[in-house]
Amino acid sequence: MSFAQRNAVIVAKKMHHIPMGYYKPFFVTKNNKPLKVTAFKMDEFAVTNVEFLEFVIANPAWRKTKVNKLFADTNYLRYWEHDIVIGKKNKNIYNSPVVDVSWFAAQAYCKWKNKRLPTVAEWELAGNAKPKNIKINSLTEYILGWYKKPNLFVLPNVKTTYQNEFGLYDMHGLIWEWTFNFNSFISNGDSRGNTQDEQKAFCAAGSINVADRTDYAGFLRFSYRGSLKGNYCIANLGFRCAK
Amino acid sequence: MNTNQSKILVMVFITGLFLVSCNNNAVTEKSASNATEEIKGEEVAVLTDAPNVPPQITRDYATKVIVNLEVIEKVMKISDSTDYAFWTFGGKVPGKFIRVREGDLVDFTLINMPDSKVSHNIDLHAVNGPGGGAAVTNVAPGQSARFQFKAINPGLYVYHCATGPVGMHIANGMYGLIMVEPKSGMTKVDKEYYVMQGDFYTKGKFEAKGLQEFDQDKAVAEHPDYVLFNGRVRSSTGANAFPATVGETVRLYAGNGGPNLVSSFHVIGEIFDKVYVEGGDQVNTNVQTTLIPSGGSSIVEMKLQIPGVLNIVDHSIFRTFHKGALAQIKVTGNEDPAIFSKIK
Repeated sequence: MSFAQRNAVIVAKKMHHIPMGYYKPFFVTKNNKPLKVTAFKMDEFAVTNVEFLEFVIANPAWRKTKVNKLFADTNYLRYWEHDIVIGKKNKNIYNSPVVDVSWFAAQAYCKWKNKRLPTVAEWELAGNAKPKNIKINSLTEYILGWYKKPNLFVLPNVKTTYQNEFGLYDMHGLIWEWTFNFNSFISNGDSRGNTQDEQKAFCAAGSINVADRTDYAGFLRFSYRGSLKGNYCIANLGFRCAK
Repeated sequence: MNTNQSKILVMVFITGLFLVSCNNNAVTEKSASNATEEIKGEEVAVLTDAPNVPPQITRDYATKVIVNLEVIEKVMKISDSTDYAFWTFGGKVPGKFIRVREGDLVDFTLINMPDSKVSHNIDLHAVNGPGGGAAVTNVAPGQSARFQFKAINPGLYVYHCATGPVGMHIANGMYGLIMVEPKSGMTKVDKEYYVMQGDFYTKGKFEAKGLQEFDQDKAVAEHPDYVLFNGRVRSSTGANAFPATVGETVRLYAGNGGPNLVSSFHVIGEIFDKVYVEGGDQVNTNVQTTLIPSGGSSIVEMKLQIPGVLNIVDHSIFRTFHKGALAQIKVTGNEDPAIFSKIK
């Protein structure tokens, strides 16, 4: 490991307390009520490249040439130079979120840290908190602004977007994040819904049964999560842990 | 009403029923025979960007057609002064034109490019099956999905993205056309062009400078800033007008992606000799303006008599003068005073 890599390691990572709250499910059905989410802790920011490097050094099975292909597709850590080398060409992203990591890898990382991935309800509850260090008209508009921009050539470092009222950084506007139960709601690829369960979720033009039909950002997150599989490694998809 | 009149009415009624049921049988039999027609060989589909159309199909048998379509999110000009973050099928708006033959087996792969932000799928109106393919193609960035369908019904069909929020995906330009040529083939014409209308909603007004973002409120209110042919103000005018010559017959494969507006499709200074109504089998002749529903199509043909510039417009006319709904056919050749001339 180069000096720069070692130097960039973040020693202790803050977790912030998220108090008990209610998460209103995105899709309204006859049976689902606002979901009580018990208090939990969440990483202040997404897991970075240097943090993930520590993990693969300690756990050789998660190095890119060694990883079991059932648990990570061929894009796993594809921008890293080698197994335990993020690389000089990546020197600007040591402290950027690690991306191109599978759900299995994210889950293994959190477990190694004695943590776990947040559930969709936890993530959404934590992510809905208002920004406290930037001025915006609406969070939805802010998020949509991110979706509309093409990916940047170099992914910015963590803590470069905004901090929300819980103290969490970059919940929106930097990357997508894995959740523990990302695939528990949408089972059908057609987001307008053809099955009994899902016709409530989407109709052709959008949204008769969606909790807030103007929450386009929420729509996009649910469609995105619905398209994932556990072994996928995607260029704008990272994670943070909860406890 | 006397007894005879009643009898005649009853006869007419019964005959009507008979005819209706005959027609239904005809359609059912046709679909059934398409479903069982033997597939010979395979080929990779030629896909084209508007205004180009893939070559007419000359095969007299069904084959397996391989279609690979890429989803690309891309900032492009929506007008000379305005950029917009489009979501596309193949890198342009409208998406690639796909051409197959009735009875073909289409082996379809949808690829979402790795640097896409969001997931996408495809609903082809030419598909008989769940979501028109959307149910099996929700594709994350960097991934792909594959399915196959039999092109049973001939006609010109719209395809579009149907990932939630569906309206936003369509408003960002995610639509195109697939032509299923009838087994009997199509008549030869001299020129074929692909033109597709769409409405766009931006934070700034028409032609406001810089990168303009999608405006959700305007989209919901159905108040577009732009109504465009082929995804850009002046995409097909002036130097980019569709060329043709006097005496030629021009066929337009015209679609409407919407997401909201219905088009009053019209060509100033020409009459559609033929219109394949709503892109189907029925042909109407001598039509001035034809409706193209959002998520629908039309095939129009016109023989050109007089040189000059023909303006293709949405005759809901403020859209043409204020929102960009204009394309052009540039006709060269000799005047024909017998058909048109100014009297001095």
